[in-house]
Amino acid sequence: MIHARGLTKHYDDLRRGKFVAVDAIDFDTQPGQIYGLLGPNGAGKTTTLRILSTVLRPTAGTATVNGYDVVAQPSMVRRQIGFMSANTAVYDRMTAWEMVEYFGRLHGIASEELTDRMERLFDRLKMNDIRDLLGAKMSTGMKQKVSIARAIVHDPPVMIFDEATAGLDVLVARALLDAVAELRDHGKCVVFSTHIMREAERLCDRIAIMHRGRILAEGTLDQLRDWWKQDDLEELFYQLISRSEEEYLQRLRDSGNGGLAAEGAG
Amino acid sequence: MNWSNVKLILTRELRDQARDRRTIFMIAVLPILLYPLLGMSMFQVAQFMEEKASRVLVVGVSGLLGREDLPPLLEAGDSTRFDKDLFHDAAQHRLLEVTLYPEEPTRRAEPKEDVSKTVRALVRDGKYDGAIVLPPELPDQLAEFRRAIEQDETTSTLQVQPEIVYSTANEKSQIAFARLYPVMKRWVEAIGETNLKAAGIPPDAARPVDVGSADVAGETKFKGAAIWSKVLPIVLLLWAMTGAFYPAIDLCAGEKERGTLETLLSSPAERSEIVLGKLLTVMVFSMATAALNLVSMGLTGWLILSRMPHLGSPPAESMVWLTLALVPVAALYSALCLALAAFAKSTKEGQYYLMPLLLITMPLVLAPMTPGAELDLGNALVPVTGIVLLLRNLLEGAYWESLRYLPVVGLVTLACCVASIRWAIEQFNSEAVLFRESERLDLGLWLKHVFRDRQPTPTISAAVVCGVSILVVKFFIEMAATAPGNFRAFAVQAVMLQVAVILTPALILTFSLTTSPAQTLRLRLPRFAAVPAAILLALLLHPVIGAIRAIVMELYPIREDLLGQLEGLQAMFVEPPVWQALLVIALAPAVCEELAFRGFVLSGFRHLGRKWRAILLSAVFFGLAHGLLQQSLIAFLVGTVIGYIAVQTGSIWPGIAFHLVNNSIGVLVARVTPELQQEYPILLTLFGAPGENGALYSWPVVLVSGLLALGLLAWFSLLPVAKSEEELQRELIARIRDTGPEVEF
Repeated sequence: MIHARGLTKHYDDLRRGKFVAVDAIDFDTQPGQIYGLLGPNGAGKTTTLRILSTVLRPTAGTATVNGYDVVAQPSMVRRQIGFMSANTAVYDRMTAWEMVEYFGRLHGIASEELTDRMERLFDRLKMNDIRDLLGAKMSTGMKQKVSIARAIVHDPPVMIFDEATAGLDVLVARALLDAVAELRDHGKCVVFSTHIMREAERLCDRIAIMHRGRILAEGTLDQLRDWWKQDDLEELFYQLISRSEEEYLQRLRDSGNGGLAAEGAG
Repeated sequence: MNWSNVKLILTRELRDQARDRRTIFMIAVLPILLYPLLGMSMFQVAQFMEEKASRVLVVGVSGLLGREDLPPLLEAGDSTRFDKDLFHDAAQHRLLEVTLYPEEPTRRAEPKEDVSKTVRALVRDGKYDGAIVLPPELPDQLAEFRRAIEQDETTSTLQVQPEIVYSTANEKSQIAFARLYPVMKRWVEAIGETNLKAAGIPPDAARPVDVGSADVAGETKFKGAAIWSKVLPIVLLLWAMTGAFYPAIDLCAGEKERGTLETLLSSPAERSEIVLGKLLTVMVFSMATAALNLVSMGLTGWLILSRMPHLGSPPAESMVWLTLALVPVAALYSALCLALAAFAKSTKEGQYYLMPLLLITMPLVLAPMTPGAELDLGNALVPVTGIVLLLRNLLEGAYWESLRYLPVVGLVTLACCVASIRWAIEQFNSEAVLFRESERLDLGLWLKHVFRDRQPTPTISAAVVCGVSILVVKFFIEMAATAPGNFRAFAVQAVMLQVAVILTPALILTFSLTTSPAQTLRLRLPRFAAVPAAILLALLLHPVIGAIRAIVMELYPIREDLLGQLEGLQAMFVEPPVWQALLVIALAPAVCEELAFRGFVLSGFRHLGRKWRAILLSAVFFGLAHGLLQQSLIAFLVGTVIGYIAVQTGSIWPGIAFHLVNNSIGVLVARVTPELQQEYPILLTLFGAPGENGALYSWPVVLVSGLLALGLLAWFSLLPVAKSEEELQRELIARIRDTGPEVEF
């Protein structure tokens, strides 16, 4: 479904010159599978997912989504995905129904089919009571539901969730995770990024642990536990990250860049 | 481009804005209420606004007392007023309040100079708005003058004269002068009439007829159009901008702030569709605001102002022209505001951009207000000014004049619209703009970054910096420099300008901002045939360029005084030996300008990823660096051709050769005289009989050489071109788009 090869993203940074947000990562995801990107803040998860959603362009490398190239065929890629992140908000001056309808029509769904699909969607997500509520008046949970409905209204084969549970209370977060699991069961290819171990443990079929733009380890949860001889995912995560951090600082010291090493340590 | 998406985005944004109370208030409610309220308060205020009388000091009236032979200056029995007969308009009578200078000057009591000094000081200090000084000798001298006329003696002119003292530094004093002058004139005329009577000539002899006046505006529909033609375009432009600005901020910066932009960007809608949908929304609001303001103002004006004698109501046709003009004006402002708003990180930052936008727009809108500002080529080429002037002409009914400049104004406006729309789309395509973090401004760090992360060839911004700094420095130096008196002075000035202003900045930037000066300046030698081909092309194109120049000059003549200066310069070029003229006019520009514009600037613009855009932009800078507008147009064309050669051959040398030959022929052709033509008949065939503007090629020559030049350009187009990184990327992406990803998984 998604194939990334050597995916790289640089930013110009005044202080450091070139800042590498994503460093030549490779990964593949399959339909009916939740692929978890697990990493601390600033690991490059959001950048990676923004590249997949074609909002950002990679500096180097390629990625294809359902056979379409993210750089050359961005609009085709966007048709294949439903993208939802902490940054994809709901319009204040639109009702839930209007908002979902708007995105459905942007995806080119014929109006009869769209109404049909939306009725079912609103039933399934239990959104009928907020149908005519303006976005500005919704609670966080309601907004999240509208966002999910907006992201899946066109029934995309690929779903991307970027830190989607950030800032949600337990109940709403749980409902969201259930919805994600349900999507997998419907055969969707789901990419799910988070920095919360429990979510990854509960949900993900494969996990990639990211740090400083690189994938440190990748595999199913069992594989990861086996390889690193560590049952606790959080402990495993911590060990991987600290080891990588040490190597990183060592590299900096070797290259004689003491100032930055100190900064990196801080 | 999927138009149903554009329509979808447009309707959503319109509904969104319509649900926003602030927007609706700004756009609909405010104008509807504003003008009636303004009109009402104007009416109210007008009742309290009386014209104030001017306080006038009159010195030396005592000498007039009891002189029956002179017409009265002051009203009998009321020394605070001038005589009623001295006013054409009786209403003016009470607007001059006379105070007699307390100490009457006499020949004995006070020296004349002192009186005059005191009076001047009084007016200067604003104690009085004006003063009339009648010298004590005046009545006697006038009497003597008349006596001489009566007796038919030869008369001499009077030694003294009455004087009005006023100050242009004070507006009240200026008004006093305007009121006093006709009074005094009338008084002097009355004296003249008595003189004529004394000489036995009828008083009307000095003024056998009155000059009548007829205002023909009343016969056409354009009575009172003058004021409307100035006011309406400005109202239109200002409100079109205001109407565009606020929705644009909300639609871009607002969406960024509220986090809905990323939602929209990850939908299948293309960036261009999003921009277009938003642009149309902003345009709708811009047009609605302007139209509502115009209608509201027009109605108020029609009701209130039509009662005032000098103002008619706005002509009905004006609505047609204003409506027609509204579309491009709204498009231009909407695109500009949208691009600015897209750049802003938050609505707050967006609001900050209103002031710079106003500062740039206001002079363009108000420049046409200056008296005597007319539609000419220069003005037509200025983006907003051209529209205002064109509208004014149309409103005044000068259709033919307008028609002549319509293509220019239209093209400039269209170009600006397209450029700003592209800019807006670019803003939406730029990750740096969409996901801009607020960064601390640190000049030192930034400079370090510019120097540390430099590339083999300059960046686009570096190219712009180079072009702009050349233009700015050149402008200041040319303003400061005096016009050269002879060729020697001209030569020194011209070469200095080329080296110091054009070459030096380009070289400094090349060596500080790029890692490969040779690549930046295209110093690589071209294939062998390229230089001779460029020389041949210059020879073949010269007649064509000459013909285009003739057409440009015919369409948009240069102002007389400038033409005089130009001819002076041209005459100077014929003075020195040929080699000197060639050195200054051909060699120096060929080397300096080529290295700057086709070296640094063009290399920078190649990073745009589009060959032609780079060539045209560098040609625009090259054109602007050529003084007069008419010359700039020609230089732009030449710059385009040379830019093309530089890109196709990948080398600076053919361009230098072209430039050198082109300028050299100019120098040589200026020396073709009828005598020379007679000596060498080939010159007669080439140029035909010498015309007024020196030698011009005959049409067959232009045609044949033009065709041959096209052939030669075709040869250049076949050369293998070294593409820039960005151009290669674009091609790769285009290929993948057509055939799908090349890598199979």
